This record gives sequence, structure tokens and C-alpha cells, in this order.
Amino acid sequence: MADEIQGAAPPPVAAPGADIPEPGPSRSWVTRVPETAALIVVLIGLIVFFSIRSEFFLTQDNIVNILSAVAVLGILACPATMLLISGQFDLSVASGVALTSVVLGYGLADGSGTVLMVCLAIAAGIAIGIANGFLVTVVGINSIITTLGTLAVLRGLAQLRTDGRSVGFEGFTELGLGRPIFDTPWSVFILLGVVVASIVAMRYTTFGRSLYAIGANPTAARLAGIRVNRVIFLAFVLSGLAIAVCGLIVASETGQASGNAALGLELSVVTAVILGGASLSGGRGTILGTILGVLILGVITNGLTLLSVNTFWQDVTRGSLLIAAVAFDQLRLRLTKSV
Amino acid sequence: MRRAGGRVMLSARRALTGVAHRSYAGRNRIREGFLPGPSHHAGGVGDEGVSTVTEPALRARGIRKSFGGVEVLHGVDLDAIPGSVLALLGENGAGKSTLVKILAGDYTADGGEVVVGERTHHSLTPRQARAAGVRMIFQEFQDAPTLTVAENVSLGRLPSAGGFVKRREMRRRAREVLDQMGVDLDPGALVGDLRVGERQVVEIARALSDDARVLILDEPTAALSQQEVERLFIFLHRLREQGTAIIYITHRLDEVQEISDRVMVLRDGDVAALGATSEFDRAALVSAMIGRSAGAVDRPPPRDWELGAEPVIELRGASCDRAFEGLDLEVFPGEIVALYGKLGSGSGEAAEAVFGLRALREGELRVLGRPAPARGPAVAIGRGVGFVPADRKREAAFLVRPVAENVAVASWSRMARLQTLISRASEAGAYRRWHDELRVRSRNDPMQQIGTLSGGNQQKVVLARWLERGSPALVMVEPTRGVDVGARADFYRSMRRLAADGIGMLVATSDYEEVVQVADRAVVMGRGRVAARLEGDAITTSRLLEAAGG
Repeated sequence: MADEIQGAAPPPVAAPGADIPEPGPSRSWVTRVPETAALIVVLIGLIVFFSIRSEFFLTQDNIVNILSAVAVLGILACPATMLLISGQFDLSVASGVALTSVVLGYGLADGSGTVLMVCLAIAAGIAIGIANGFLVTVVGINSIITTLGTLAVLRGLAQLRTDGRSVGFEGFTELGLGRPIFDTPWSVFILLGVVVASIVAMRYTTFGRSLYAIGANPTAARLAGIRVNRVIFLAFVLSGLAIAVCGLIVASETGQASGNAALGLELSVVTAVILGGASLSGGRGTILGTILGVLILGVITNGLTLLSVNTFWQDVTRGSLLIAAVAFDQLRLRLTKSV
Repeated sequence: MRRAGGRVMLSARRALTGVAHRSYAGRNRIREGFLPGPSHHAGGVGDEGVSTVTEPALRARGIRKSFGGVEVLHGVDLDAIPGSVLALLGENGAGKSTLVKILAGDYTADGGEVVVGERTHHSLTPRQARAAGVRMIFQEFQDAPTLTVAENVSLGRLPSAGGFVKRREMRRRAREVLDQMGVDLDPGALVGDLRVGERQVVEIARALSDDARVLILDEPTAALSQQEVERLFIFLHRLREQGTAIIYITHRLDEVQEISDRVMVLRDGDVAALGATSEFDRAALVSAMIGRSAGAVDRPPPRDWELGAEPVIELRGASCDRAFEGLDLEVFPGEIVALYGKLGSGSGEAAEAVFGLRALREGELRVLGRPAPARGPAVAIGRGVGFVPADRKREAAFLVRPVAENVAVASWSRMARLQTLISRASEAGAYRRWHDELRVRSRNDPMQQIGTLSGGNQQKVVLARWLERGSPALVMVEPTRGVDVGARADFYRSMRRLAADGIGMLVATSDYEEVVQVADRAVVMGRGRVAARLEGDAITTSRLLEAAGG
């Protein structure tokens, strides 16, 4: 059979490829060094800096503080990374968290059953994801516009429900305040679970691979048989699920239903994801990188607080970090292209 | 000279104001153009330095141009003579587009000079080309579809006062030039709503209202209907009478006879033929275009394997809006069928229809014997069709992703355990399987980004995608566009080998050499219809060119 096949081949027209230069990898260090390595260096640098400036920084209490402070951010950042890798944004996460926490807290304050209200809150979060996914994939609205719209809508609904006030409720404290082991709250363990599940999803499943492919080239993905809309829809639903979980955590931590919950958190989520190396042009990024981004944000916020820096400076820092991260992303793209 | 040209233009325009009802006379002229013998355009034939009534509007001398170290124009001369149509012919890559882009100031020449009037330029800047009255109509429209006809006519030089657009003046300008052309188009209509032919008219109107003295058209009839083509020719004849110099790039030999006074054939960056159109017949033009490269194209050795009995792809009376009509086609297992045609012939669209990207208006598509209505790529792949699209970068390759993923992408659902879990190892295995088979030249590292490979090797990886998937039917569109010669030979060899393994391939291409080198059968398409069917050794470059040109 092999001989037959050989015989069928036309004679070579030119010496095949003898003179074709071997395409090498790009030589620039910016493109070669894994983004995560740079992030680890930055994170360690920050930790060293703050632990020199404040002796309290590296205590176990404070480390747990940092972790529980970034738990909600981290849980939201995982599906946000999936979305950005596929070229999509979900800016409605913070408003979604507020709405689900209000659904839960207001219901509890009204005396409804805990199980029922938790189910309702989760359903609300998933519904938010379905709505976003529907608008982006079926109606075909750009995801930034879609979720910018739902950002306002959900926040407005949350405020309407509470009439702009905070409503306290009794019970449902374990999720937010319970510390099962290592004196560490549940939210940190949930974060850990979400991170592990997300890493597995992005590395080892058809879903994750499809997200990378879609982000790298949506047209090619479609022509290769990937059901692009279905995959993106699912990613939005996962984002909705994360919203629900975070809504529960936030409500439980504060014991309140407030339309102002998680205000501005979407900025931190986007910052962490981009800081973590996910490319705005899609197709690149890792959950691990995002988590490093989340930790960097958490360490900065915590450290600056310990150093008694005015909290408004923290906003300035966060915004600057976002711009710096995007600038770095652009720089990397340009270098990759020119090579 | 420039002023003189302007005056010619003005007076010609004035003369045109009553021209709409003279169109019949214009068509008679087209017929006259066929007649050999003394040309009725005194200025038309004087290319070889014979003194002419009119000075060339633009003279290019010894134009050279290289891309990436490869010279594609080796010192070409060209004269654009007012009142004369020059047909510029040549196969793909002969240098036609490069040459006219240099005239239009798009590219900077590496050598030679361009003479406009009294002035000699090393190479024209876009601004100088504009000042010289060079206007180019591209194959792909450069218009703004969301703006109106009037806005498009004045695009880039809107009449304004103090920063405000003078809309009335703009409409008047558009109306005037459209009237002169004898076209009834609403200046307020959106260009995006127009038919293809009308959009082209708007492009020409824009050039005219901008005092085109040298009008370059790059395959303007590719996407036009027969009727629109006739109308375009009437315009061009009128423009010629007004004294515009026209350079007309085409592949269609019949058009050359109909529209041009002079003809110039480029081959591999040199002028292969030049003279009055009446001096050339079709055969002479074809042989000038192909030249020595004709001998370099070999037919594959005869098939020594049996074809399958049941066609993998079958089209019966298939029609698709604005693309093709009544197409019958079948591809048997083990066979390579080429669908040869230029842009706009419908060959690429037919290939897309087979992959379920276009719905048929009439007729039927069968894949592996089963009816296959268009349900999108995922369903088509499920039926057993693989697709290698024309634009690799945009439509096929995931440039920033590893080669292994690029191979595995269409097979993920099969590779995955429990429908979800994929291992890097299985992807890498898929890549290694085809790396040697297809002679992919790379580091043999499954994690290497595909974007770092050369075009030809990227294309092999894309092909491997469908081999890994095990698709019994492959549809390819322009599979070796932008692929260098060595990789191209590899690619053709792989195709023949896959055919021997029983895969049926449909190759839509505008490259006739490709057809000669791989096809068992060739279906030649022109204007959405089958122009000819060739088989075996009847597939030759000259037959293909003739069939497509007719």
C-alpha cells in the first residue's frame, strides 16, 4: 500500500523546502517569558515591601484577611477570565451580586424560608447569566454594551427593591462568618474550589479549548465546527452562577440587603483578569494568571490600608494598574506581530 | 500639460451633456472596435514611440519593485494615452496590480521613473498621483456603504464652508456627474442598498467628478452581470471619447477585444507582449500570458486506484442567489475535482454551499448520498465534510494557539473522554500523526504557536485538521494561495495521496496551474454557470484560460 501511494505522488516540482527558513520562535523576551512568572515576581515584591513597612502584614490573621477580602473578587474573576479569553466581557457582575444579595436578604427580612430564598437567589444569578448570554449570542449585541446595560438595570432593580436603604436580616450567617478550619472563612474555600474547577475546565475540557479557539479566531472556530454561540452562552451562565454565589456570600457577611453592595467591583474584576495576562484581543490568558492578578490587587489594597493610605488613593492605584496592564498587553501584541 | 488635460476634460464634459440619447451610437462603436485594419483612434496605437496626436498623460519607465527580496517587476514601461484604452493582462502574480498601484502612488517603486507632463518623478506619492489625475477603481469597493451616493461621489473632498458641509452643492455635484454618465441614480440613496453594478458606477462617478485623467480599473467586471458589463463598456467608451486614458486590468480575453485599443501582457514582472489589440488574437494572448511557465506545469501521473461508486458530494441543479445557477457536480471517493473560475464566477460560492455556508435556492446537495440542506458548519462537519477556507489567517488558523490544538479542534468531541475531558497528550498525538505524513516543517513541538509557521506549513496543519477528523469529503477554496512553490508541491502531493486513500476533494480555485497539477476533472465556471467540463489530459492551462475567458 505504501509503495502504491508513493507511486501516486507527482514528482517534486522543486526541491521541497530545502531553502525554506525554519520558522523560529519570536526572540523577544517580552513575548517569551510566561506572564505568570512576571506576576509572581510582582506579587513577591509587593509582599516583601509591605512586610518591611508593616510588621502586622505577614501574620496569619492578615493573610486570612487578604484571602477573604478577595474571595468574591476571585470567584467572579474566574468566569470573567473565561469570557475574556473568548473575547467577551461581563461588566454586570457587581450589580448582579447586589441584586442577588438583595433578593436573598429582603426575602429573609420578610421572614421567608432560608432554603427557598437561597434557591431564588441562585435562580436570579443564573437568570442574569442567561439574559446576558441571550442578548449577546441570540440578539447579537456586543457584550460590553449588553453588560453595561444590564449593569445599570440590575443595580437599579436592586435599589428599587430596597428603596435605596439597607435592610438588615436575621440568620444565614454561617456562609459569611463561619470559619470551618484553619480559622478561615467558607468564602476562601469556595474560591479555592472555583479556581480548581476553572483550571480543569480551561485546560482539560472541550469547553475550555473552545473558549480559547473562539477568542483566537471566531470565524475559524465556527468553520471548524465549534458551536460558538452555545459555548459563549454557557460562559455567561457560569458567570451568572458565580454572581449568585457571591451574592450569597456578600449578604451573609454583612447581614444586610443593600442595593449598594459590591459597588464598582466590576472594575476590580476586569483589572485582575487583564493584569493576569488575559488578552483583550482574545485567545490568551489563564486562570492561574487571573488569580495572581486577584492576589496582587488584594495585597495592594490590604497593604495600603495597613499603611493608613487614604482609601481614595487605592482607587487611583487600581485604575492605574488596569491601564498599565492593558498597555503591557498592547506592547506584547505589537512585539509578537512585528517579529 | 496639466492645464491642457483639465481643459480637455472640461470640454469633453460639456460635450457629454447631451450624450444619454447617443448611447446607441456608442454601442455601434463597440462593435467597430472588433474590426481589424486601420484603427479609428489615431492616438491609440502609438505606444512604441511613434509620434502620436496626444502626449501620454502619464509615462512610466523602467519600473522595478521587490517584495521581501523578490523582484516582481523587472523594469516595466507603460504609457497612459488620453483617449485610449490599454488592456493589462497577465496571470496571477505577473505584477499587474503592483504596477498600477505604483502608478496610483500606493506603492513606491524601487527603480525607474514616472513622467507626468514636464516633470519626472522617481516615484509618485499618492498626492502626486492624485494631482496627475490618476484614479483607481479597485476590485473590492473602496466606498462607504453607510453614506449616500452624493456623499460617496464627494468622498474625501466634501464641499464645505467654515467646517459645515454644503449639502446642496454636494448633491448638485453628484447629480451633474451622474447625468453626464447617463445614469439614473438617486444621489440620496444609501450606497449599501445599491446593486453591485450600481456601486461600481458610483465609484466611477467619484473618479470622474474628481477629474480623472488616467482611470485604472482592476478587474471591474468580476462581480457584474452581463447587462451591467455592457453598460460599463458604454461608459468607458464615452470616457475614451472625452480623452481619458484608461488602463483596464482583466482576465477575460473577450473583454480585451471588445474594450481595448492597446494591449499589454505582463509575465513574471516583464512585458511579454505589447501592441495594438487588433494585432493579437486569443491564442496569441494566451500564449503570451502563459509563456514558458506552460511547460513547467505537469499533470499528475495517472490514477492507479479505483474510484468509489457512490459520490461523496453531489450537486443537482443547484442555484444560489447572486452566485451560481443550475450547477451539476459530483465528486467520487478518491477523486479530485477542481471548480475553476475567477472571482465572481461562483466557484468559491459553490464550495461554500457544499459546506453548508450558503443555502440553495433551487436544486439539491447530497453528502455521502444523503440530502444535506444548509445547517451551518458544525452540521456539515458531522455529515463528513471538511473545509479548507481561502483566507487562512482569517478563517482557519488560530494563530496564537498551539499547532496541536489547531489540528485537534475539529476532533475534540471525538477525542474527549466522557464528552468533555481532553488531554494534551491526545492532541499532541494527533499532531505527530500528521506532522511527518504532510511534511510540516516546524520544530515538531506540538505546543508551538501555528502563527510562527510559514503560510504553506500552516495550510498543512489546517489540512491535517480534517484528516484527523477523518472527513471523507474535503472542500478547499484557493488551498495554495500565498503558499510558496516548495510547500505547494508538497501540498499537491499530499492531496494526491489522500485521494489514493479514498478521500473525495472539491477544490475551488482561480489558479489554473493548480487545476492542471491536481485535478482529475475540472469544472470551469463563468458568471455563475458551468462554462466547460474537462477531464484528464484535456486539462491544460490554455484550455482552462480559454474556457473561463469565454
